[in-house]
Amino acid sequence: MRKFIAFFERFRVFLFFAFLQIIALSLYVTFLSFPKFQFLTSANAISGQLYTWEHDLTKHFNLSDENSKLQDENISLRSQLPQSLFKLNTQTIKINDSVYRQQYEYLPGEVINSTVTKRNNYFTLNIGEKHGVRIGMGVFSPCGVVGKIHSTSEHYSIVKSVLTKDIDIDVRIEPIGLTGLLKWDGRNPTRGNIVGPSNDLKIPRGSKVITSGESGIFPKGLMVGTVDAVYAIEGEALWDIVITYSEEYRTLQRIYVIKNLMLEEQQEIEKSIPEDKEEGK
Amino acid sequence: MNKVLKISLRFFLFWIMQVLVFNQLEFGYGIHMMIYPLFIMLLPFDIGIFSLLLLGFGLGILIDAFSDTFGLHASSLLMMAYFRPIIFAFFSQREGYDPLKEPSLFDMGTRWFVLVYGSLLLIHHFWFFLIEIFRINEVLWILQNTFVSIIFSFSASILILTLISKKFRSK
Repeated sequence: MRKFIAFFERFRVFLFFAFLQIIALSLYVTFLSFPKFQFLTSANAISGQLYTWEHDLTKHFNLSDENSKLQDENISLRSQLPQSLFKLNTQTIKINDSVYRQQYEYLPGEVINSTVTKRNNYFTLNIGEKHGVRIGMGVFSPCGVVGKIHSTSEHYSIVKSVLTKDIDIDVRIEPIGLTGLLKWDGRNPTRGNIVGPSNDLKIPRGSKVITSGESGIFPKGLMVGTVDAVYAIEGEALWDIVITYSEEYRTLQRIYVIKNLMLEEQQEIEKSIPEDKEEGK
Repeated sequence: MNKVLKISLRFFLFWIMQVLVFNQLEFGYGIHMMIYPLFIMLLPFDIGIFSLLLLGFGLGILIDAFSDTFGLHASSLLMMAYFRPIIFAFFSQREGYDPLKEPSLFDMGTRWFVLVYGSLLLIHHFWFFLIEIFRINEVLWILQNTFVSIIFSFSASILILTLISKKFRSK
C-alpha cells in the first residue's frame, strides 16, 4: 500500500509536469503559424516599451552607416524626379492622368529588437495597428526584402523575417526570369536558398534575385540578393540555389511596411479559380 | 520571508539579464548563451517539486514573451526543473543534502557542481535545440549547437555565480 501511494505521488508529479509541458509545446507550435494572443510575443506593451528604451540607447551605434544608406536611396530616387531629367521633346507635358493609380503605400518604421542566429528569427517594430500595420503585410529596407508581419499590437508589431524556416517569398531570378520560393536553412544569416527552378536553364553566378510580386504582398522588383552558387539535386530535375542577401540583417534598423491598396481585389479574383481536385480530396 | 524575497529578486535578475544582455549577444556558429538555468539550479534543496516546476515554467514563459520563442524556453526549463531532483539524487553524498547549504559552486565543491549543473545544462540545451530545429537529418547540427552553447552558458554561469554569491555572502 505504501509503495502504491509512493508510486501515485511520483505519478502525480509527472502528470503535472506533462500538463505544463503540453501547454508550452502547443503554444510554441500554434504560435509559429499564427499567434493567438499578442501578450506572449514581444509586441506586448511591456516588452515593446522595454525594447524601445534599449533601442533609444543603442540606435546611435550604426548611425553613420544608416545615414549613408538613406542618402544612397535618396540619390537614386532624386535622379528619377522630373526636375533632374532633361526634356528632349518639348511637345509632351506631364499631366495627372488616369493611366496610373497608386497601388502601394509605405509606412516607415524602425526595428527595435532583432535576432539573427536562431532557427526562426523575428524582428520587433516600433509601429503597430494604430499606424496602419496589419498581419500579412510585407516589410522591406532600402537594401532588400525583410519579411512579413506576423503579429501586431496597438503600437508594436512583429516581423517574420526572411531568416525563418518557412518564409516562402515568391522571387524571380533576373535576367532569365525563373521563379521560385525563398527559403532559409537556419545557419548563416547572410545566405538564403531558392527552391523550385527546374534545371533545364543555366543560371549564371551573380544573377540578381528580385521579388516577383505575384502574391501581391511585395511590389515587383524589390532586391533580395544575388546568386552565389548553384547545385544539382540528385534524382530531381531541380536546382538548389544559394543566394547572398543584399541586406545585412545583423545591423538592420530602418524599414518600410508595404500596404497594397489592391490586395483585396487580387485575392477576390483569385478565389474564383476552381480548386485542384487532387488536393481537395 | 527572507528566502522568498531572495528567490523573487533572483527571478527578476536572471530574467532581465537573459532578455537584455545575453539574448543580444549573437556570435553565430550555433552559440546561444542561456544563463537562466542557473536560477533553477540555485533554488534551495528543500523546495517542493510543484513550486520548482511552476517557477521553471513561469521564468521560461516570461523569457519567451520577450524573445519571440513562444514557449520554447518554457518547455526546456520545465524539462530541466523536472530532472533536477533526479540528478540531485543520482549525485548525492552518503548523508544526503544539508538543507542549510545552497546548491552552488562554493557550498558543494567544484566536482559536484560541474557534474550536476553540467548534466542539467545538457538536458536543457539538448531539449531546446531538438525542439527548435526538429529535423532528423540535422542531428549533427543539433549536437554541435548543444555542446558549443553549453561551454559558453557554463562559463557565463560561473561568472554570474561569483558575482551574486559574493553579494549575498557579505550580508
